[in-house]
Amino acid sequence: MTAPLITLAGASFSYPGAARPALTDVSLDVAPGDVLAVTGPAGAGTSTLLLVATGFAPRVVGGTLTGGRDIAARRCGVVFARPWTQLTGLCSTVRDEVAFGPASLGLPRAAVFAAAARALDQLRIAHLADRDPAQLSGGELQRVVVAAALALGPDVLALDDPAAELDPEAADALYDALPGLGAAGTAVLLATPDLQRAARVATRAVAMAEGRIAAQGRPADVLDGTDVALLARAAGCPPPYPVDITALLRRIAPQSSRGGRGTSDAPPAGSGPDTGVTAP
Amino acid sequence: MTLRDLVLVRLGVALNLVIGQIVAALLLPVYLDSVGTILVAALVGPRAAIMAGLVSQVLNAVISGNFSWLPFAVVQVVIALYAAAAARLGLFRRLATAVPAGIGMGFVAASCSAPISYFLFGGVTAGGVTAVTTVLRALGVPLGVAVASASYSTDLLDKAIACALVCVVLRTLPRTLAARFPALAR
Amino acid sequence: MIGYVEGTSPLHRAHPYTTLAAAAALLMGAFAMTRPLEVWLLVAAALGYAAVGGVLRASARTAVLLSLPIWVVLFVLHGLLGAEPRVLAGPVALSAPGLARALVLGGRVTAIVVGFLTALAATSPHRLVEAMTADGAPFGRAFLLASTLTVLPRMRERAAQILEAQQCRGLRLGGSPFARLRALAPLALPLVLGALAEVDEQVLALDARGAASGARRTALDPPDDSAAQRVLRWTLLALVLAAYGWKFWRMRG
Repeated sequence: MTAPLITLAGASFSYPGAARPALTDVSLDVAPGDVLAVTGPAGAGTSTLLLVATGFAPRVVGGTLTGGRDIAARRCGVVFARPWTQLTGLCSTVRDEVAFGPASLGLPRAAVFAAAARALDQLRIAHLADRDPAQLSGGELQRVVVAAALALGPDVLALDDPAAELDPEAADALYDALPGLGAAGTAVLLATPDLQRAARVATRAVAMAEGRIAAQGRPADVLDGTDVALLARAAGCPPPYPVDITALLRRIAPQSSRGGRGTSDAPPAGSGPDTGVTAP
Repeated sequence: MTLRDLVLVRLGVALNLVIGQIVAALLLPVYLDSVGTILVAALVGPRAAIMAGLVSQVLNAVISGNFSWLPFAVVQVVIALYAAAAARLGLFRRLATAVPAGIGMGFVAASCSAPISYFLFGGVTAGGVTAVTTVLRALGVPLGVAVASASYSTDLLDKAIACALVCVVLRTLPRTLAARFPALAR
Repeated sequence: MIGYVEGTSPLHRAHPYTTLAAAAALLMGAFAMTRPLEVWLLVAAALGYAAVGGVLRASARTAVLLSLPIWVVLFVLHGLLGAEPRVLAGPVALSAPGLARALVLGGRVTAIVVGFLTALAATSPHRLVEAMTADGAPFGRAFLLASTLTVLPRMRERAAQILEAQQCRGLRLGGSPFARLRALAPLALPLVLGALAEVDEQVLALDARGAASGARRTALDPPDDSAAQRVLRWTLLALVLAAYGWKFWRMRG
């Protein structure tokens, strides 16, 4: 069992001038390779949790932090919803934009370009390397931003609603890249209202409400607001409810859930709502 | 300067360069091309405001091709310092103090720009000030007086409106956003 | 033509500091010249500079367009309305010292405009940023100059969108001066407040990418400099100082 990269113990945080704390008594561990989905309604503190966990709050945004926080991660990256606000504005090619981080640390040129190439490959956007960031679509640009964050080799990557401004295809491409990051040992913190996509990629989940953690654990236990989970519950599946199509098929028809994400042929006979599944 | 100060200076510069678009759409006889500098002075402080003014002047020249404006950079420094002092005195808290502060700023700015315009350019730069100068001159007013009158009249109006706008911005800032600028609390 | 134009001229290939130093020498030299002949020699030098940059025709044309209004005003202000004595030019009596002054001032502006249009055309912002980075210039300087130009189009777009949106809500742009002044706040406030609200995100993004690391940034593609170019830059400075020395010496005597 590897040591956690981030430990929060009863942490509370308030923004400057705010009437109420944004986070209250939050305790959380983040281990290497975790893909942690953080969900909650607006104002629940999901973005704040990301900033506090990665050390950007209160250092960069101000405010007061009380309680315990231990960040063993050497470096944390952060990606926000709007791709445009995250460009440096200094770089005329995608390669230079991605290389900005390692170059800022003063690494030798060869190391800078190697890190940039690695990050471009990880996000599968090496073909965009010579393009001007200002000419890219939102989806492509957001992947450039993630690559730029990864080029620094962070132990933890926090993504705050990264697909908010992307079309469905671009959102899928972005989310699909996340499990690969987790497998490579990077911890991913993902604040998102998109339960469907989060359920596909998350290894752990946290649900927040009014600045507190309401539930944390396996996605199946926490992300029970997905359409599939609601359907399964209505269909009489016992908890824990499957949160995506693949998990649902595995539950009700194990032999037909092989291959394909979210796609299924006609359901096998006898897999209707009242066969072999009892209501709780 | 911290990274935050740099981003705010950049915002001030961008504002200086873009607000002209709005002013032109309203056909107002002003430029408001210092409103970003004044805002940065109130939100951050004099050093950042000076940077905002200087960079605005350089970029204005670069974008418009009007490079004879570069010597007026010293006027931007004066405006930045005045605005920072006015902010420190709390003059941007109410319109009743912001507008007179703006008139004072216009007076100081014109006192700096008129001599530059007269001695370096013979009263001819581009823009509305020159138009006023020409009209006055055609009426028989001596060149020096014409340049000065044109500068003062346009600057007084321009800076008064700019300071009023900054006052309204500061009063409209949401409390949580305002709390991020320690300079405002003073 | 205002802005960078791709090319392979000697100015394009020179170190950006050299290209800019020549333009700066033209700017500062212009104010040291007080006689028509001197000023117009400088204009010739500026045109020569544009020729070396391979943009002579384009920059001359743009310079004429940009300085035409100034020439017209100079002609009116100094030529027509200037002091005695007068010379007859067809039906019009022009002021002789006024004309001389107009020629000096107009030539000054023309030399400066040609010089800087050429400098802009021959200096790629990217190469300039790389030159500054290789020089160890603090991050802030390059950031403010280059990054502001990049964010401008988006801000302009947003200003246009706000204009449209407020008009849809019934805001009238015309009317009395007072009405137009009142319309300023609903147009400017959303622009300013929207930009201020983005500041935190922008700072966080830059901070996370090491912009505040304090380490000396690695220049990825630094332009070549040479001893000859460094000598040239110092020579230009010496020429400018000599020109001012000459001017003040003449003023005394």
